[in-house]
Amino acid sequence: MKLIVNGRECEVTRHGMTSLLEVLREDLGVKSPKAGCQQGGCGTCTVLVDGEPRRSCLMPVAAADGAAITTLEGLATGDALSPVQQAFHDSYASQCGYCTPGMVMAATALIERNPSPSRDDVIEALGGHICRCTGYVKILEAVESIAGSAR
Amino acid sequence: MKAVGARLPRYDGLAHITGRTTFVDDWPTPPGMLWAKALRSPHHSALIKSIDTSAAAKLPGVHAVVTAADMPVNMVGHLEALGVPKDEPYLAEHEVRYKGQPIAGVAADSEQIALEALELIKVVYEVRQPFLDIRKAFDPDEPQITPDGNVFFYDPHDHRKVTKGDVDAAFEKADVIVQGAYRPAAIEQAPTETQAALVVPEPDGRLTVYTCTQAMYFTMGVLSTHLQLAQNRIKLVGGTVGGGFGGKVDSATEPLCAVLTLKTNRPVKWRFTREEEFLYASVRASWHVEIADALTSDGWILGRKVMTLHDAGAYTRFSSYGATKHSFHLSGAYTIPNLRTQAYVIWSNHVPTTAMRGFGVTSASFATELQMERSAKALGMDPWEFRLKNANRKGDLMPTRKPLEDPSTIVTIQAAAQAAGVELSAGLRELTNAPRSGDSLPEHLRDQPTIAKLGDPTS
Amino acid sequence: MPAPPELLQPTSESEAIDAFGDGVGVTVVSGGTIVVPDMTYGRLRPSRVVLLTRAGMGGVTREAGVVRIGAGTPVGALDDAVEPLGSAARGVADGEIRAAGTVGGNLCAGPAQDAPRGDLQAPLIALGATVRSAGKGGERSDPIESFLGNHDGRLVLSVEFAEPAAAGYARMDRKHAHTYTMLAVSACRAADGSVRVAASGVGPFAVRLTSVEAVLAERWAPEAAAKEALVDCDPPTDALASAWYRRRMLPLLITRALEGLA
Repeated sequence: MKLIVNGRECEVTRHGMTSLLEVLREDLGVKSPKAGCQQGGCGTCTVLVDGEPRRSCLMPVAAADGAAITTLEGLATGDALSPVQQAFHDSYASQCGYCTPGMVMAATALIERNPSPSRDDVIEALGGHICRCTGYVKILEAVESIAGSAR
Repeated sequence: MKAVGARLPRYDGLAHITGRTTFVDDWPTPPGMLWAKALRSPHHSALIKSIDTSAAAKLPGVHAVVTAADMPVNMVGHLEALGVPKDEPYLAEHEVRYKGQPIAGVAADSEQIALEALELIKVVYEVRQPFLDIRKAFDPDEPQITPDGNVFFYDPHDHRKVTKGDVDAAFEKADVIVQGAYRPAAIEQAPTETQAALVVPEPDGRLTVYTCTQAMYFTMGVLSTHLQLAQNRIKLVGGTVGGGFGGKVDSATEPLCAVLTLKTNRPVKWRFTREEEFLYASVRASWHVEIADALTSDGWILGRKVMTLHDAGAYTRFSSYGATKHSFHLSGAYTIPNLRTQAYVIWSNHVPTTAMRGFGVTSASFATELQMERSAKALGMDPWEFRLKNANRKGDLMPTRKPLEDPSTIVTIQAAAQAAGVELSAGLRELTNAPRSGDSLPEHLRDQPTIAKLGDPTS
Repeated sequence: MPAPPELLQPTSESEAIDAFGDGVGVTVVSGGTIVVPDMTYGRLRPSRVVLLTRAGMGGVTREAGVVRIGAGTPVGALDDAVEPLGSAARGVADGEIRAAGTVGGNLCAGPAQDAPRGDLQAPLIALGATVRSAGKGGERSDPIESFLGNHDGRLVLSVEFAEPAAAGYARMDRKHAHTYTMLAVSACRAADGSVRVAASGVGPFAVRLTSVEAVLAERWAPEAAAKEALVDCDPPTDALASAWYRRRMLPLLITRALEGLA
């Protein structure tokens, strides 16, 4: 099987029913998606699969065969953070940092399809992502602050 | 001092936002690393008649199976240094006292193999009636959790006791007595990162322990004692905690990983599943707090009696400390010159309880603030006015007789009223925490016991 | 080491039917939202998996007032579907889960460890849907309510229903993307005027409330009809709600759902 992870072609030899999360973390050394619950309930494992946000803990890697996978490690261009990353950083939308990868990937997908989301849109897009530290407000403000700004 | 008042980025902000922050589970997998899982009791309370790990040990891919006998020291007390007797086996040996209590540990090539190995461990239980309702703590017919019963002994009493003034006289004088019972429920800290540890054996025989603990020095001490290894033989790598809130102070994962590493000479990692975190990891305790207040009809609190039951769960851990802190906050932010509070720490067959934000204090705040509402209602008095009237002033004494130097109760309540859009009367708006004097100093507060008058505060 | 399952990845519906055979010893994985966590936690150790992600069994078609939904259609594709399906679909988890979980999986979803699942079952009952399935004895169509809970040995291919004349939906749950729907009622009036009512969260699978329908067939009396609901089901106590609470809320939700048909 083959995955294109953050632009890099990777061969996968694990059994097809292994979760995409496990393949990314254990075989490919991509650690930003987390095993927060491994049952789709927390959103810490979210990555982009062909641009769409998906729970990697629920996806058999065989279902991702051939897909382009984008994780947090792939958002920055050299030292330049993506607008979503910069917004999170500037808005203090991260405390312990554990929910951050999933939140940023979901927010990145949102901004891509809806450059000026309303608060309700943001809540809808991030509603499946749990944060136990921030109380969410700064995360919502971070995403809203991107609205309309140059990408 | 350029940093003070400046808006600075988080020191770990860049790492978080680029995915470089390395949690325990993120450390590059060391070669040969094994995965650990624990066999947990399915019963709230049972005797263990026998444990047979032989079939599990033979499963291909399993490198070690450990039980209590494999722990160099199985029983370590978290507060031994404070004189609290140790009571909790790390791995259960003769009995289990809570559903989920670890009995055996396995190290295997994968989590799936480890899970399969657990199924092969044979434990014979003699199930017992559990004790689950702490209100029955003094009922001798209820199952007794320990040989000493169900009530922790705060030598020389069976409760933490705070006494101030003459509470019986206060209740004699009262115009109105208001009582209430408050029962905040147990709460799981639910950090987004579940508990995890990774132990790596170093060539020189030391252990490197990657840990998510909130309490590096607690963990160092606990590990050192369990393993009988001097502290300079253990290196802790931590400080990256994916949420803790008090739930990562019990060193739940490190000892098992360390023992398995010592047995196999391989790195061993144990990460809790979300289910383990919710069901079996320690929680904030449930409490039962009964308060009776002696009130005058014009709104003074003359005295307060409190009886608290704290559910420690199956073992003490930090509960005696939590209930002590709780006791010191039972007058709330208010001046109550006559107090008698009794806080009992009760063992039950629940998961052992531990710290969570404001350990011991949130239960006191919850109970006392609801009691203030209840009292105000009983008196037909505005609850804002009732609080401000009784609020701490400079020089008032805490339950422990420590004089308050600059209590902020009044300004906080005034700010809360403003934020809530509640219009306070001019008199209440202008209140300060200056000591009561003249007309605003009531008879019953004129003779407040002070440290000067009492002498020995431990009497 | 538990032997990894034999993995079959059919690339068409007919290949999927062949791979499924009579279903004995086969675990079907469509979106993976139910099976993959069970495998991760060691609760399920399949010997043979038929993974349907490439079988092209998704898609919604509408022809002459009849809607057909392929089993591989993600729940999220129904967010704007005809009511009451649309409301039920939108209430499932969050967008990422809805993009993965499929209609077929939802139909075959029994209860979770301590909560009800399968939010689409009751709307499809109310819509009078039929299920086309393959398995032993070949392809056949069944009314949804007889299929639910009896899906062993059947591979869901599609569901089909006629668009209703009117629909209503009422749901009770906590305002949080992570909880399953505690209790929900779907109601439809078909083109011929007949009314169907179904509830989810009242048992292991959704239940058609025939006693409620019987009252409405005589006269339009929603409150009287709602009282009959407990004849048809025995709501459970689980992590989300007690039986006591569900029994009290069910008639209320029925009257609310029926407002959509007034």
